[in-house]
Amino acid sequence: MNAREEILSRLKPTVPGPAAIGADALLIAPERPFVDATALEEGFVAKLSLPSIAATHDRIDTLADLPAAILRYCIEQGLPPALYLPPDARLSGCDWSPFAVHEAAATEEPVVLAVARCGIAETGSLVFETAPDAPMLPNFVALHHIVLLEADRIVAHLEEATLPGPQPRAHYWVTGVSGTTDIEGTYVRGAHGPRFLHVILVRAALPRR
Amino acid sequence: MASEMLRPRVALFVTCLVDAMRPRIGFAALAALEAAGCEVVVPEAQTCCGQPALNSGDRDTAIDLAKRAIAMLEPYEHVVIPSGSCAGTIRSHYPEILEDDPVWGPRAHAVAAKTYEIMAYLDEVRGWRPEGVTLPATAAYHDSCSGLRELGIKAQPRRLLRAVDGLQLRPLAGEETCCGFGGTFCVKYPAISNAIVEEKAAAIEATGADLLLAGDLGCLMNMAGKLSRRGSSVRSFHAIELIAGMGDGPAIGEKA
Amino acid sequence: MSDFGDRVDLALADPILKIAVERTAGTAEAKRALAVDAFPDFEDARDRAAAIKDHVIAHLGAYLEEFEANAIAAGAQVHWARTSDEACKIVIDICKAAGARTVARSKSMLGEEIGLPHALAEAGIERVETDLAEHIIQLADERPSHIIWPAMHKTREQVSLLFKARHRSPHQEETIAAMAESARRELRTQMLGADVGISGANFLIADTGAVCTVTNEGNAELSLVPPRVHIVTAGIEKIVPSMPHAVHLLRMLARSATGAALTQYTTFYTGPRRPGDRDGPEQMHIVLVDNGRTTMREEGLAEMLRCIRCGACMNHCVVFRQIGGHAYGGTYPGPMGAVLTPVLDGLPKSRELPNACTLNGKCQEVCPVRIPLPTLLRGWREKSWREGLEPKTMRAGLGVWAWFARRPALYRLASGSALRAMRVLGRGWIRRLPLAGGWTDHRDMPAPEARSFMAQYKSGRRR
Repeated sequence: MNAREEILSRLKPTVPGPAAIGADALLIAPERPFVDATALEEGFVAKLSLPSIAATHDRIDTLADLPAAILRYCIEQGLPPALYLPPDARLSGCDWSPFAVHEAAATEEPVVLAVARCGIAETGSLVFETAPDAPMLPNFVALHHIVLLEADRIVAHLEEATLPGPQPRAHYWVTGVSGTTDIEGTYVRGAHGPRFLHVILVRAALPRR
Repeated sequence: MASEMLRPRVALFVTCLVDAMRPRIGFAALAALEAAGCEVVVPEAQTCCGQPALNSGDRDTAIDLAKRAIAMLEPYEHVVIPSGSCAGTIRSHYPEILEDDPVWGPRAHAVAAKTYEIMAYLDEVRGWRPEGVTLPATAAYHDSCSGLRELGIKAQPRRLLRAVDGLQLRPLAGEETCCGFGGTFCVKYPAISNAIVEEKAAAIEATGADLLLAGDLGCLMNMAGKLSRRGSSVRSFHAIELIAGMGDGPAIGEKA
Repeated sequence: MSDFGDRVDLALADPILKIAVERTAGTAEAKRALAVDAFPDFEDARDRAAAIKDHVIAHLGAYLEEFEANAIAAGAQVHWARTSDEACKIVIDICKAAGARTVARSKSMLGEEIGLPHALAEAGIERVETDLAEHIIQLADERPSHIIWPAMHKTREQVSLLFKARHRSPHQEETIAAMAESARRELRTQMLGADVGISGANFLIADTGAVCTVTNEGNAELSLVPPRVHIVTAGIEKIVPSMPHAVHLLRMLARSATGAALTQYTTFYTGPRRPGDRDGPEQMHIVLVDNGRTTMREEGLAEMLRCIRCGACMNHCVVFRQIGGHAYGGTYPGPMGAVLTPVLDGLPKSRELPNACTLNGKCQEVCPVRIPLPTLLRGWREKSWREGLEPKTMRAGLGVWAWFARRPALYRLASGSALRAMRVLGRGWIRRLPLAGGWTDHRDMPAPEARSFMAQYKSGRRR
């Protein structure tokens, strides 16, 4: 017997019946933090402000306001107007002329923009998937991680952020910045990845991808 | 006169440690049970519940001693023990170790169901409170682990102690943290046990209380022995001693 | 003195260790308490978490096959390993086939369990540990002392010295933030330049074939996205049926481990780079490792397979808090380690671990999946007793005691003599008691009353 056969031969079910029925029953009314479904945006923003996340946020009406909002952030933070933009066609309509735009993220990229698919009010998480127009690595090499999120795309709980059917290569939830407590349990921001997270909530829906 | 129903026939199992090291606890339990309207019987065949064997892995001996204890305790309406860990052995572990035995399994369950730690029994089953007991002192209460986690003993001793006039309970930091006794653990790993009880003793001293109280003599001997070695003035009693009005006697380790 | 005893003595004699463990475990304990209090129905949530894991363990074979099929459909390659040696060989072979000179590793306790760091060194492959704590451990050439905080035993002062000696441009300022920054500078290029990224898995999602990793540092993503090859080594018990099941366990894991609502970076990887993707590995390999787990399932330790590696049991363990993780001598320390190490290293070598426990039950009280750790530890003690591994003195002592305990009349006689003997040594506190040095080396022993309870009761005393 090879390893696979031998392991599986020793793993016959210990209870009768198909697995799937029992599995579904385990998901009925899960215990989870209360989220006010009538105030998802407020709930989400409140989570961003928790010390454990400590993200800043801004609000804009339309996508056209995005460059100005990022410029504002750069000035507040004393950053030069330069950023990495993902190859997302929806961003190409904006006027990026005030910025030195990087099409590839450097090893140490000061400012990176990303577009989240949705936000999660339960935890203040931002949800991303990889795609040809949404590479993953820039979001981790950034020092300042700027995330655009449609205000209407905030869901209540983690379960609602998952995707049905075949999965993208990577599906990831970002909840705050890269942090560590590895030295004496003391929390330090910016362990390996972003030290700052800035969420820009846009009121108007983005064009379809 | 109280009817049979109201005056249960209770077996007092004093535990091997109380029998040998501090009989006062047994007499305090006896007095409190009688005050609470029980007819108390002390079965003469009692020795040890078998916990040391159980926790050392000697299951056969534990089973043998469990059967002896079950047979001895079966005739009584209730079994009461001034120790959370020994009561926990009978309530939780006898049914476990005899689970597969068609004869002894049900008997173990039956005895387990009527076995109580003394303070839980007085408080919850008898609804009794000490009357006319006075002891002007401050005390820190340590929750012994087996009683706390196997039997849920937490509020009962505090409710009873609050009825002692003049006694004031002080909060103890880490009151639910193990004192490092652990039965045979303190013999097998004395250095680790010592490190744990050293911290416990410091926490007790930090309360500034006059007395240390708990519901298990093993833990009390460990903590009181450490307090004594540290030269502390804190005096240690089993809580039932105070509840039974015997808090004016010698504390653990004091000359009688 | 045993090896374990030596390690305990060493640990207890180290005042710095105590400070270091207390700083991290104390913080974790406090944060968990706040998180649990804030969560509605945490006790019910623990029941559900245990039920999910029990369900998976009961149907483990079917779920593994489902996972395998979905992972392969997504383009991953799935390997099976019965033992740690098989698992390491698979990983090394993949590295060699990829012509790998360097691997970036994202902290995985399974990798430690199967001895992957050693296997990589043997194969001449350079290993870059990217988790900050693992990086500290690698520089110090030590083993992890905790499953969440592998460098828990190190103080900031010790880390500072280590970084100053080993980093190319170390910190100037003596702050923890500056030390973390120094590691960031040191590791960034090493991570991005690795040929292979190796991770464990927090969860394997059966119905999608996804592998979930959680980190707070983001080092998993930085280690696993740039290299050409991503290798996952995962214990077979890491399976969950679907994403919502994983979500429930993630909520429990983060709260129990660090007191957070969720880890900062929670990523689900499904297969390698897709057409048009600008980053991601060209190959994804998943090594499903048994290494004793089927045996645990067969031999009464199925409940231990619930473990989601949160570390709450050790953070709350009075023994761990005194002796730290290294004293346990295995990959996994604390209560869960005392159950697992006899499986992995054999009971004769590790019989002391289940004994070095006060059975106080705190670990079970905080376990997010309700593993009855004290019961499992007691089970190992029973096996050790049956197999004659317990020391002769202990067996003999307990035997004598049990002989008397079965004979009440003789028991009274014997205890009466013992009490009289103790009374000879003093009244009040006894400071030195023959044959009880373990006790009186550290604490006083109260002298007993002159006669036992039963003796006094029989002669008529009632109060």
